[in-house]
Amino acid sequence: MASRTEGKVIRVLIAKPGLDGHDQGAKVIAYGLKDEGFEVIYTGLRRTPEEIVNAAVDEDVDVIGLSILSGAHLSIVRRVMSLLEEKGVGEKMVLVGGLIPQEDIPKLKEMGVAEVFVSGTYISQVAEFIRSRLGDTG
Amino acid sequence: MSEDLERIKEARRAWEEGPLAKALKRFPYMDKDSCRFYTPLDIEPFDFLEKVGFPGTYPFTAGTFPIEPMAGLTRLASLAGGKGEIPGAGGQTRAAIYSGYGTPEDTRDYYKGLIEQGSRGGPNLAFDLPTQCGYDSDHPLAEGEVGKVGVCVDTLADFETIYEPYRGDLDLDRIASNFTINAPANVIIAMYAALAEKRGIPLEKLRATPQNDILKEYIARGTYIFPPRHALRLFRDSLVFITRHMPNVNITSIGGYHIREAGATREQDLAFSMAIAIEYLRVGVEAGLQVDEFAPRFTFNAFGGSMEMLKEIAFQRAARRMYARILKERFGARDERSMRIRQALGAHIGPSSTTLQRPLNNLTRAVIGAVASALSGGRPLPFPPYDEPLGLGWSVEALQLAQDAGRIIACEARLLEYADPFAGSYCMEALTDEIESSAWKELEKIEGMGGAVAAIENGYMQREIARSAYERQRAVERGERLVVGVNCFTGEHELEVTTNRLVPNPYDPERRERAEERQKARLAEIKSSRDSREVARLLRELKALAEREEENLLPHLVECVKAYVTEGEICDVLREVFGEYQAASPF
Repeated sequence: MASRTEGKVIRVLIAKPGLDGHDQGAKVIAYGLKDEGFEVIYTGLRRTPEEIVNAAVDEDVDVIGLSILSGAHLSIVRRVMSLLEEKGVGEKMVLVGGLIPQEDIPKLKEMGVAEVFVSGTYISQVAEFIRSRLGDTG
Repeated sequence: MSEDLERIKEARRAWEEGPLAKALKRFPYMDKDSCRFYTPLDIEPFDFLEKVGFPGTYPFTAGTFPIEPMAGLTRLASLAGGKGEIPGAGGQTRAAIYSGYGTPEDTRDYYKGLIEQGSRGGPNLAFDLPTQCGYDSDHPLAEGEVGKVGVCVDTLADFETIYEPYRGDLDLDRIASNFTINAPANVIIAMYAALAEKRGIPLEKLRATPQNDILKEYIARGTYIFPPRHALRLFRDSLVFITRHMPNVNITSIGGYHIREAGATREQDLAFSMAIAIEYLRVGVEAGLQVDEFAPRFTFNAFGGSMEMLKEIAFQRAARRMYARILKERFGARDERSMRIRQALGAHIGPSSTTLQRPLNNLTRAVIGAVASALSGGRPLPFPPYDEPLGLGWSVEALQLAQDAGRIIACEARLLEYADPFAGSYCMEALTDEIESSAWKELEKIEGMGGAVAAIENGYMQREIARSAYERQRAVERGERLVVGVNCFTGEHELEVTTNRLVPNPYDPERRERAEERQKARLAEIKSSRDSREVARLLRELKALAEREEENLLPHLVECVKAYVTEGEICDVLREVFGEYQAASPF
């Protein structure tokens, strides 16, 4: 089981920010993390950073996974990170997946993204990463 | 069963029990399916004319056309007598590249450059996501996206700018344009018509292909706006308008490959694409047109998208035959042009077959797709270029290598010398039958639900595709689906060959970065200089017309865009009347 240290199941929000409609990756990771034992919420397409952060707060998730393939990752992630700070929930883990050029990965990490998962990633790697950071009692 | 077949059956049994069983004992990790052998038993009964026929004739299994035009490249290249430039071969080797970025000025300058370098074709326009989703560049949802994955188009003024280089012998009656746009396709079609009218070019001389395939957007690609039934009404409007006024414009480019890229299996791709095509055909018939009046103007967008070469060849053959049967048997088409699958690109591997790891391998992969295309009656155009997974925008060297690979296939390997070389192959005919019959079965299931729109509304197609995508990912993770450099042959002794994009893609990054603010300023200027009372009147009238299902909105949209009503304003009115599509949960 994927759990928080206090025994609660880790909650993950998978979000598609921006107007990009390529959601195969987002849906696959949502299905996969669910099978790995996480609680998964999928936002659907075209969410603004505001909507994503609000959903993360309302749903009390531990992890926000952003799927971006449109090339708009830098501006979107910057906005999401600052909104999380504003709401006082800057501790939530933010992961980014999608078509992210190598040179942008350090930039995203500097903004506070915990990890960037590019093409070829296994779902089990993502699950392992989340567990290793958030603790796993199961 | 004939005596001959009985003898073959007997011989097969002897082979299976003798040499095959013996060989399998030596290789215990293999089974009968590791390396299959087909015989006449697998395709019985086989009626050549019914199953295959001649290239360019019903049922089109052997090819859409009697002869693949690119087959002439070899001859043309020889005629050049060892010289570098091949006169007249440009159009046959160079498909118009899907392009466009930044503001209309940026794209105009990009095309100007291409024309200066000798390009003679019309633009194959990529629009940015706000344009594809019906938002103006100043909309809050457009922030960060203006001019990113294509050019932004808010008003007719933008079209006027983009088409500035296309004058004289490249004017709208001399070139063909391509518009990758779906939900607001009618606005873009209206803009093209308005531009032609302003230039005094009769609409019947226009040649263009709007993608205008809205139904696949709900199951792949995602740039939908309105609920499917209302979207279908807009499709009807363009179908009827194009048929009546723009006979040389294609109505739609139905997108199998997007569905495959979203995760569909080969059979789902074929069934869903056919279900969508059937829905569009019904729309035309229900609008009172004869199927042969409009079906010849349907095109397809690059069917294919996997590395399994033989099955992809079979898929092309099965797709052509299935579509021809649907047109002839279900819709009573008589004109063979109605029954043809026309597509700019044939078999290919699809971007989802490429890997970020050791990216040059993607060239090898794409070549396999192009070989499949050549052997199944398509053009050998390797797609995508090898650097696709490195980020949006292909480098010039990747494009050159892709283009050269196609030329090598045609001119050196001479794969186009024979049409449908697999016709009659026991294996290929059996694979073709299998794919077609699985697709028919799935299609009947969808028809049972009420057709493609119903199967979208109830979320069936979306869930099925997402499930297949997940299955595929799991198969990769379990090692059942092998991807070299990703889940096999990744040991320490392998060399991680990387590549640098030495020649960057031709878009100016600085222009792209500043596109949003420049376009917003331009839009503000247009909005302040137009007749705002006229704009308000046109939008009110649009609303009234939209509320009446029987009205064709296209003539009015032409009036709207001529008055510089924006795409976003038009779509907002339609959102008000039609509502917006809410996707079903994938769980």
